[in-house]
Amino acid sequence: MSKILGVLADSLLAGGLYATMAYGLAVIYGVMRIINLAHAGFLMLGAYATLFLFTRFHIDPFVSLAVVLPAFFLIGVALYLAVVRRLPRSGATPSMESLLLLFGLWLVLQNLAYAIWGGDTQSILTGYTMKSISFGGVRVGVPLVLVFAASAMSLLVLTLFLKRTYVGKAIRAVTANRDAALISGVNADRISATAFGLGTAFAAMAGTLMSTLYAFTPDFGRSFLLKAFCIIVLGGMESAAGVALGAFVLALLENVMGAYTPIPTTFQDAISFSLLVIVLVLLPQGLPRLFTRISRPAHTR
Amino acid sequence: MPEALLAVSGVSKRFGGLLALNTVSFEVEAGQIYGVIGPNGAGKTTLFSCLVGAARPTAGEIRFRGGRIDGLPNWAVVSRGVVRTHQIVRPFRQMTVRENVSVGAHFGAGRRRGAEAASRVGAILEKTGLAPRAEALAGTLTIGESKRLEIARALATEPSVLCLDEVMGGLNPSEIQGAMSLIRTLREAGLTVLLIEHHVHAVVGLSDRILVLNFGERIAEGAPAGVMRDPAVISAYLGEDAPEGTPS
Amino acid sequence: MNARNRRSAAAIVLALLLLLIAPRFLERGTLNDLWSIAFAIVLASAWNILGGFAGQISIGYSAFLGIGAYTTALLSLKGVGPYWTLPLGALLGAAFSYVVGLPTFRLRGPYFTIATIGVSEAVRVYAAGVSYTGGSSGLRMPPGTFDFGRDYAAMMILAAAVVLLSLWIRSSPFGKALFAIRQDIDAAEALGIHSTRVKLVAHAVSAAIVALAGGLFAINFQYISPGSVFDFRLSLSIVLMPIVGGIGTVAGPILGAIIFSYLQIKLLSTPALRDSYLFLYGGLLMVVMLFEPRGLVGAWQRLQGLVRPPMRKAMPRA
Repeated sequence: MSKILGVLADSLLAGGLYATMAYGLAVIYGVMRIINLAHAGFLMLGAYATLFLFTRFHIDPFVSLAVVLPAFFLIGVALYLAVVRRLPRSGATPSMESLLLLFGLWLVLQNLAYAIWGGDTQSILTGYTMKSISFGGVRVGVPLVLVFAASAMSLLVLTLFLKRTYVGKAIRAVTANRDAALISGVNADRISATAFGLGTAFAAMAGTLMSTLYAFTPDFGRSFLLKAFCIIVLGGMESAAGVALGAFVLALLENVMGAYTPIPTTFQDAISFSLLVIVLVLLPQGLPRLFTRISRPAHTR
Repeated sequence: MPEALLAVSGVSKRFGGLLALNTVSFEVEAGQIYGVIGPNGAGKTTLFSCLVGAARPTAGEIRFRGGRIDGLPNWAVVSRGVVRTHQIVRPFRQMTVRENVSVGAHFGAGRRRGAEAASRVGAILEKTGLAPRAEALAGTLTIGESKRLEIARALATEPSVLCLDEVMGGLNPSEIQGAMSLIRTLREAGLTVLLIEHHVHAVVGLSDRILVLNFGERIAEGAPAGVMRDPAVISAYLGEDAPEGTPS
Repeated sequence: MNARNRRSAAAIVLALLLLLIAPRFLERGTLNDLWSIAFAIVLASAWNILGGFAGQISIGYSAFLGIGAYTTALLSLKGVGPYWTLPLGALLGAAFSYVVGLPTFRLRGPYFTIATIGVSEAVRVYAAGVSYTGGSSGLRMPPGTFDFGRDYAAMMILAAAVVLLSLWIRSSPFGKALFAIRQDIDAAEALGIHSTRVKLVAHAVSAAIVALAGGLFAINFQYISPGSVFDFRLSLSIVLMPIVGGIGTVAGPILGAIIFSYLQIKLLSTPALRDSYLFLYGGLLMVVMLFEPRGLVGAWQRLQGLVRPPMRKAMPRA
């Protein structure tokens, strides 16, 4: 019984992190119909930025978010203005050009990290890295709890932002019906820039959070990128809640497989990647389509 | 009793909450020109999509030469001899006109290769008046030429049933005359032609029978003269513009 | 084959003959470089059959290379003559391409690309985890399986054959089906093209060729490991060469392969640059996508258009 509770608790906690990781991908896809492969690069750079702040200025990883989030938001906006905006606009499906361009950007970011920090495995050890606490007989690591709290808080703030502010509402409008929103006077460039900044900031934040849990290298991020895809395809792109649900489902699957099947952990990632393919194939063009059909039944095509 | 060449019975198609086609039935005899008309959004193009297998009907049956073709993929229906053109032309823009047509010759019902394919393509280019433009890239054609290319590609697949979706849309009067005489020639050559057309005038002039759709439902079917006097048809068209050339 | 194709084919055969007698005149180092360039041409041109002609961008071709290389290495270690293992490697590569393609070809455009990343990562993780691949220590080919003269000739012949095959496909009905799928898959189906089957065939042909190249790779280098043949970087450069050169053309992948091999040889011999290949790959990809998605061939045609009086110039032959 406590094993089940343990698996559920781990899944919930990991799900929070996964949601943060996937949301950045979802918001950019939603607004611009771009699959941002550079997401993995920002994830990795977020971890390194945290490492830098930790080793140089002894800033706690969770405190470092106060620097990392705004910095990467600005980096994202700048990248959008300098590079992404020059691409031909994607139609209903993402263009191959945008996919490959951002793929190139990812490689450049990776090389940047190699050049600055080298290829060695890095990790961040804080006073609480090895501590754990117990809730009703279920022991969980302190960093994982903190990561979950930070993720949950960020998703909450995000939801408020999307519901209450003009830019947030515009982002939701463009995601739900791009053409209609653009016709009704939403400034596409401004919204896209904001979304790209937001997506980048969320990627970096996920990187920061992961740096407290895992060791990392400049190659870090690739497997998480594929997981993020899996999540947004599972959960739909329309809302933070959908992303959170997809994240929890993936985390649950991974934890259940880890706890109840004899599959060695070395193959865990292989299973996630295969799952991605299965999900993509069984829900052609992703669950979002199914999702829109369910949520807006009167929608005509 | 001999079975109709194409028999559609009780076909419905639902997109989410929208019923684009509602239990539509009709039969087309070999060698007929069969017109399909109706106001915008009546479900005409959806009907063609179901006929050729580009969309799968939610309910109902479509039989061609007695065998069911609903549920078959598009390419399989084409290889049995039912093909359609697209209302919004879809040429392969980076291929020449000749190459576009030869794709149809290679892969339709005929599956011609080599010299045989080349001579058929040449003949079709002549028949559709595209021969002078044969080596032009399809992306450079005028709208009238693009419409003819749609027809030429479809003909190259060697169909028994040719479904033409608004091939006269956007054409000038002399081009429309040309298209009408082309369609008559095709019928004389033994083809069965289904015709969606906004120019009701042209449909009435060409068709042996007409099907009228409104909001996905069949509201009239029969010989053109009778159908165009049907009160249901007249009131369906009163909602928008009166059909051009409606006998008043 | 039309006149243009016949001329190109004659040029390729001539080049092959020259390359086959080259060992009498050139040094071993140069021949090694020629082997690498031919290897790159094989990979790029084979990928281009599906990725370029049919527009199905797969970032997962290292899986086929690895299958070919491991088939050859494992069977050679059992005592089979290395060249006798090549057909089986090609067959297994094609079979795996079928297993991958059958589900993923239902996906379109970028979704297909993402799925191929997933597949190749799954294969990579699997290959690194099982024992018969030799894990991180890899496998060494048995002694007596190396003969540079023979291996050099084999790679030259394979490269020429792949380019000839590309020329033939370009002018064949099969090639027209691939171009049609790339430009408008629905319109292609509406003319009777069974797009899934056509894509599967193209995938199988290109996978078999890449697996063959993988077998020759194992024979020539005498040592393989999951890190060398299932590497993501390898999948990446296979995609980059045709894209930089000019996707969907016959000349583009060759051009891209020559440039890439040259850069790689330079990079490897310059210690300061050895760790910048990702800058190079990524930067090239970004530049091509931003300024000329049709690659060098596209840029060349644009240049010609500037020099010559504006006439209706042929687009890259789809």
